[in-house]
Amino acid sequence: MASCAVRGGCPSDYVVVSIAIFSMISLIVRSTFSFLIHKVPSAKGSAFWIPVIQVIASFNFLLSIVMALNFLKYKKSYWWLSCYVWAVWFEGPLGFGLLISCRITQAFQLYYVFVKRRLPPIRSHMFLPLILLPWVAGAAFIHEKKPLNYRCHLGSHWIIPVVSLHTLYVAVLMGFTGAIRHIEFRFDELRDLWQGILVSASLIGVWVSAYILNEIHDDILWLQVVSRFMLLLTASILVLVFFSISISQPLLSQISLRKREPLELKTMGQALGIPDSGLLLQREEAVDVDPNEPLDKLLLNKRFRQSFMAFADSCLAGESVHFFDEVHELGKIPIDDPVRRIYMARHIINKYIIAGAAMEVNISHRIRQGILTTTDLTHPDLFTNALNELIQLMKMNLAKDYWSSMYFIKFKEEARTRRCGQEMEEMTGYDFSPRLSSVHASDDPFHQDHFSRGFTQDIHASSYTH
Amino acid sequence: MGLLCSKNHPYNEADAEENAQAAEIERRIEQERKAEKHIQKLLLLGAGESGKSTIFKQIKLLFQTGFDEEELKSYISVIHANIYQTIKILYDGSKEFAQNEADSSKYVLSSENEVIGEKLSEIGSRLDCPCLNRELAQEIETLWKDSAIQETYARGNELQVPDCTQYFMENLQRLSDANYIPSKEDVLYARVRTTGVVEIQFSPVGENKKSGEVYRLFDVGGQRNERRKWIHLFEGVTAVIFCAAISEYDQTLFEDEQKNRMVETKELFDWVLKQPCFEKTSFMLFLNKFDIFEKKVLKVPLNVCEWLKDYQPVSTGKQETEHAYEFVKKKFEELYFQSSAPDRVDRVFKIYRTTALDQKLVKKTFKLVDESLRRRNLFEAGLL
Repeated sequence: MASCAVRGGCPSDYVVVSIAIFSMISLIVRSTFSFLIHKVPSAKGSAFWIPVIQVIASFNFLLSIVMALNFLKYKKSYWWLSCYVWAVWFEGPLGFGLLISCRITQAFQLYYVFVKRRLPPIRSHMFLPLILLPWVAGAAFIHEKKPLNYRCHLGSHWIIPVVSLHTLYVAVLMGFTGAIRHIEFRFDELRDLWQGILVSASLIGVWVSAYILNEIHDDILWLQVVSRFMLLLTASILVLVFFSISISQPLLSQISLRKREPLELKTMGQALGIPDSGLLLQREEAVDVDPNEPLDKLLLNKRFRQSFMAFADSCLAGESVHFFDEVHELGKIPIDDPVRRIYMARHIINKYIIAGAAMEVNISHRIRQGILTTTDLTHPDLFTNALNELIQLMKMNLAKDYWSSMYFIKFKEEARTRRCGQEMEEMTGYDFSPRLSSVHASDDPFHQDHFSRGFTQDIHASSYTH
Repeated sequence: MGLLCSKNHPYNEADAEENAQAAEIERRIEQERKAEKHIQKLLLLGAGESGKSTIFKQIKLLFQTGFDEEELKSYISVIHANIYQTIKILYDGSKEFAQNEADSSKYVLSSENEVIGEKLSEIGSRLDCPCLNRELAQEIETLWKDSAIQETYARGNELQVPDCTQYFMENLQRLSDANYIPSKEDVLYARVRTTGVVEIQFSPVGENKKSGEVYRLFDVGGQRNERRKWIHLFEGVTAVIFCAAISEYDQTLFEDEQKNRMVETKELFDWVLKQPCFEKTSFMLFLNKFDIFEKKVLKVPLNVCEWLKDYQPVSTGKQETEHAYEFVKKKFEELYFQSSAPDRVDRVFKIYRTTALDQKLVKKTFKLVDESLRRRNLFEAGLL
């Protein structure tokens, strides 16, 4: 007993190490599943990297505890088994510090968007290293001074600043979370944050008590064994509970991993519960479309908009119409519901406005900057200038060709048959478009179906990219 | 069973007819496929406002039936919109300069003109601009002649002032006529930002002669967001006509006012040259907007553009223009040879000096392009 308490290898140690391994595996499985099921998001943007960094940080954290606290019996002659590497660097900047910093970054983004109602001034890939600096500085300092004893424990003078750094970061996280507690989030962001705070705070509690007990009662061997058991156990639970995709991918959290409710939420509008979003209802009247009416009035009719959108997609000019559609959806959200307006506005910005976005629209630099540097994401006229410019673009490029295209003829046919209440005839033959000869229903070199599917996939990928 | 058989009877005729129809469609598709093989695919690529759509319009005028009255009339709203937008840009620009510049007095308009300016600026920001009548044309002309606006126009390269400004402002009287029908020249000057892809099919020897080459020409948008759509067109291209506006060396992009247009064109050309699909594709580089270039180069030195910063002016007048043009041409040639891998250097690469608005010049240039492509086809077929 005595030897295993000092040198590691007690039965309880093996048990808890296997629990840690199990927890790590389930974390990796859970994260990979989420990415796979919802189609891998594009490798750029914080939506992808922050969860990945969290998984890596969790792994580092658990590994550091295992290595530093003598769970396993092994020869300690190599440098890479050195105490400082594990207990200082891997536990701090690369483990616990990184975990909490990821969450702080996310909370910071949420705070800026929902409380200050503007886009965050610092991008997350610069913010994260910035807030990690105190950890790196602290670890370097400890490495210099070398206060750890042969059993990898800090002296009591050192434990106070180290624990206060840990507690400080949890407190900062609590601060940001507290600032956004009154916001009614749609996608469990707040719940996840509180959960994370609770577990990390209790972990610190366990750690402090374990440490104090260890130091004060050096000779009580069973206490050592028990305390390190508790420490690794709590850490394993922490990393599992701490991980959550919902803050990065709000749409994904709507779709249950177990696929109990196969909700097909294709658009942000549906996820936010905007009425009639994405649906083509029967009761939408078949309005007689008059080509002489201004285009923006005609586009308010949903069926016409769908038909025009299909035509525009065939000419590879569809993003303007999709933009119109989503801004129209945004307009349906009442002014006194700022949270949903912010979700939708942010989604539109990520999908259409940011340079290099999946469906970036053709607007001038000034208008783009006007939107990106706005001081109020809930403003009803946020996208008005962009919309006007794009309606002009659509008028001059697409309108004339649409009237002589097969899409319009189909639209008129559908309207007519719906009115007469007959069953629709099958339209055989190939689609004709005056703009592009290669638009054929069966043989489409532009892979039109694939194209429009790709757009909906990109919703998952590009939401909350920053 | 018997019931089913008797039910089937009336459908037999319909079936047979359907089969005949299907066979007919199959035959037509097969015919088209055969015809497709002889169609040469040409792409018009280039940065925004480089002249691609103007070349496209010229090809339509030269080799297709041209513009009928209906189509000409459809350009009236475009031309009027251009005029409103231009005067709005100039007016807003003068206000901006008046606020930010040290010697702001030269950008301040007279008070009556300011009233006109506010009114026109409001009209320009509307979605549906009113038709240009005599009264509005008069007001626009008054505002245009104001010295502050002229000063702003002189610094038009810092704003997004279109190239058709001078032409339209000089012809305001004609354009605002009640029975105005745009001339071909007006249509060529009209500025429409292209989005998506447009194509036409034509034959340089004329529609009735069967033995000529058939070309399918694709026009695209040039702004950054439009370029991600280009990739869908890159398969099986005979030739790329890359338009580079050489007069834009002192201007910035419409979609990114921090980037110089010439530098963007250079990077874009480099990117296009390196595309794997273009291994055997011929490249025709149109150094466009020469008419604006020859006037500008005497006033604004080439070295304001960082890519052309090692330029040394030698003289003045026509000689200088020619020297500057040769310098730019050499830069593009160097770029071509730098960006082309050794196995691609033997693809056809020709540079042409163009002014897309000049119909004769475009016709001549295209004839040269056509010859070049024919020769290359014969070469490929082993007959040369």
